[in-house]
Amino acid sequence: MIAPDTLSIHGASLNRRSFLKTGGALIVALGVKPGEGGAASATSSLDATIPTSWIEINADNTLLIRTGKCDFGQSSIYTAYRQIVAEELDVPIDAITTVISGDTDRTPDGGGTFGLLRTNVLNLRKAAAYTREAALELAARELDVPRADLSVSDGKISGGGKSISYGALVSGKLFQLTIPVTGAVTDFGGLRVTGDPPLKPPAKYKVVGQPIKNPSLRPKMSGETVWVNDVKLPGMLHARVVHPATLGSKLLGAGTVDKQQFPTARVVVIGNLVGVVAEHEYEAVLAAYSVAGSTKWSEWKGLPGHEKLLEHLKKSAQSSEVSAVDGAKQGDAAAAAAAAAKTHSATYFMPYHKHAPISPTVSLADVKADGSVTLHTHSQNPQFLRLAIARMLGKPESAVVVRTYPGSGHYGRSNGGNAGSEDEAVLLSRAVGKPVRVQWMRPDDMQWSTQSPASMATVRISLDKGGRIQAYQADHCGPPMQDDRPIGAVLAGLPTMEAPSPTHPSPLHSTTLRIADRWVYGAIANVAEAGHGMYQVGQRESPINVGLRDHSMRTPIQFQQNFPREVAFSEAAALAGVDPIQFRIDHTDDERFKTLLARLYVESGWEKRPSPSPRAGATGTQVVRGQGVGIMWRDNGYWACACQIAVTPETGQVKVERLTVVVDLGVVVNPLQLKRQVQAGSLMGVSQALHEEVTFDEGAVTSDNWAAYPILTMAEMPAVKVVIAPRPEFGIYGQGSEGANACAASAIAAAFFDATGKPARRIPLKPDYVKAMLAT
Amino acid sequence: MTTLKVNGSEHAVRSSPDTPLLYVLRNELGIMTPKFGCGMAQCGACSVLLDGAEIRSCVTPISLAEGKDVTTVEGLPARWAKLHKRSKQDGGSTLHPVQEAWIEEQVPQCGICQFGMMIKVTELLEANPKPTDDEIKAALTTSGPSPHLCRCGSYAAILDGVHHAARLMARGDK
Repeated sequence: MIAPDTLSIHGASLNRRSFLKTGGALIVALGVKPGEGGAASATSSLDATIPTSWIEINADNTLLIRTGKCDFGQSSIYTAYRQIVAEELDVPIDAITTVISGDTDRTPDGGGTFGLLRTNVLNLRKAAAYTREAALELAARELDVPRADLSVSDGKISGGGKSISYGALVSGKLFQLTIPVTGAVTDFGGLRVTGDPPLKPPAKYKVVGQPIKNPSLRPKMSGETVWVNDVKLPGMLHARVVHPATLGSKLLGAGTVDKQQFPTARVVVIGNLVGVVAEHEYEAVLAAYSVAGSTKWSEWKGLPGHEKLLEHLKKSAQSSEVSAVDGAKQGDAAAAAAAAAKTHSATYFMPYHKHAPISPTVSLADVKADGSVTLHTHSQNPQFLRLAIARMLGKPESAVVVRTYPGSGHYGRSNGGNAGSEDEAVLLSRAVGKPVRVQWMRPDDMQWSTQSPASMATVRISLDKGGRIQAYQADHCGPPMQDDRPIGAVLAGLPTMEAPSPTHPSPLHSTTLRIADRWVYGAIANVAEAGHGMYQVGQRESPINVGLRDHSMRTPIQFQQNFPREVAFSEAAALAGVDPIQFRIDHTDDERFKTLLARLYVESGWEKRPSPSPRAGATGTQVVRGQGVGIMWRDNGYWACACQIAVTPETGQVKVERLTVVVDLGVVVNPLQLKRQVQAGSLMGVSQALHEEVTFDEGAVTSDNWAAYPILTMAEMPAVKVVIAPRPEFGIYGQGSEGANACAASAIAAAFFDATGKPARRIPLKPDYVKAMLAT
Repeated sequence: MTTLKVNGSEHAVRSSPDTPLLYVLRNELGIMTPKFGCGMAQCGACSVLLDGAEIRSCVTPISLAEGKDVTTVEGLPARWAKLHKRSKQDGGSTLHPVQEAWIEEQVPQCGICQFGMMIKVTELLEANPKPTDDEIKAALTTSGPSPHLCRCGSYAAILDGVHHAARLMARGDK
């Protein structure tokens, strides 16, 4: 039988484009309906007729996948994504030999690298399912066997006593499968594959669930991989940026370079953006220091200072500039609270945190005389970055290509495209007419990047006579989650998206504070949560419209809201005289949490009793020990964490001795990678709980190096136990390190209360704060 | 001109003698595994071995490296082969056991700090072939100018990686 020119496959269309003498392929391209914009629109550099496809099947039975998402340590695009595609196509995992990621001219879908297994993987999963169905149709014709009699296994399609491999099916031919998508490639979330091709049921999974190793690690550890740090462009110049003296300073006069000392260096000034460009990197470093010394900035004192941040948040929350929004709401919490036998009411506080990658941000840009821009960088959302660069330059998106490379972890910082340096490299390259590499120094990265927003919450838990919760009330307050304005463009006075505001067209960039911490205590009859948003601290007061810019980090806003809820829950359990794990079991109606918490008892070596510990103490040089728990529901994942800590009251030293995480993520795609992600994410959480706080005076961030912004060291590492408790019957992929990151802090703070009898309602638990907590 | 001996090869370099070794390795010699992290010897991302001792190349001027052996991660396989009189023709891995262990144990998350970690661990294992957990933690925290920092939190994996590397190296010694 001869294949017709076009076949419809569950709404996708399959075309045989030509016969080939050698090779052959099936490529999976995107289809965008006219008028829907996206990749086929005039502003796109993507051409749906060339191999910017999701999946390619080659005649030699190898496969290639493409994704607009990037890797910066999760491994998911090299492990889980390959597993999920291999599973849907029923090919061996090793057949997928190539993963192309991130580059805006070589990948189809765009979107941010977050929620990789939550929703984003559905694109490739559906693309693979469409491809399998198309191959089955082709095989039915090739083998002359009814479609219904065919099945796929291990890369071969068989039925009716005949069989053909994927490779043989495409050999000598070029097929294009056009699949339906919606959205635009430069949308924050990128394109979405639509339609409902039949997906393989999890009960039949063979590749998903295997501990596949990350193939990108060998070339990385051998030194072969070119990291963004290592990219060299022909004829490129090195640059450093002299950032303003404060987050509100305007340029009064740029310094000059001593040409005898720095013969190739020159200063570039664009608005308040001052760059120093030179042929040699260390020359650029020294010349920039020299220029910084003689550059004059206006004075500015528009920040409250970190010591007064809590007061500032309290005051801002009372303003009605930003409307409050409700979270969980049930019954009549105010009435139930009024009738309570006992009440726990307290205010909780979390400072600003820094994403603080080990490598400061670095980018290279090549702006050609014709205005075309190639940006070499490291981003969680290259297409959204492309949009921002085009907007900054007043050019169509088609003028900009973003190429991405491995780099330091982002932890959410660049999920809106930029982290810093990208736009500066573009502007400096345009100014000097050569490729320019901008490397931020450590203080640039600590002072001029965004931060994870600070927050405060007032929680009131009302108990009846029997110690059960009658009402839960919480008011969460804080600055917004996300400012995606590139800082170089802001300093240069060039177009960007708006700063967060109540009327921002993008809900993600609004000042509205949504309740992001999913409610888990369904057995409580009366609940009232509200979020009170505010403007970014110091931004409107800043003459350059900067101030303390915020950005999502790991578990954005959820961490800030989960910490007060869970610490308050442990304090309320003490007021009720009930073991804090039991107290949680008593107040959730979710069987998965009850199961998880029962497991946590066993796995964590928990001592079942109410807090504080009978051995608790708040004075002296003797170490006191305590245990604490916290739980969270995130991205279809159920998390429970227990920590055992040791406190030395006299010195204020806190040491986390053991950390146990039990996690139910539904279907676990790769238990090996998940274990590593959870271990690492948890330790970053310990770091935040013990050490981290962005400090600032009235004008600038003062925690501008690792001594001023300490993070966890290896010697401080607790024993970490990760227990993966999958529930595949729920058929949903949960995911890893983002959730793990937020679990430790509330467990550690609760353990502090257990050990000392004094509540810890703020982090970090650094000695000065601890001593103050113990003295109350 | 300063003469540097890096991974067994001698190079005459143009940079002035006060230039930090990191910039010369990366920009003049194209040796890219030492990474810029802080420029203040606070993190360990730029670590290299200088006559077998771990130093921070971001604050070490090339004048202090002259006449000494500089080893980076690129040079670890040859360093292992030389210590054990092996060549690639003997078969087996072409990487140093520490690199192999890092892959086998899937140690890195983002991986940017791991070049410095592997350098420090090579120094440790050459002196102490079977370190305890506490000795490993001390080597990576208190033995140098600063702790070796990992922002992703891969410390538990690093601990597994060091023990794995110690086993591989012990096998290689036979």
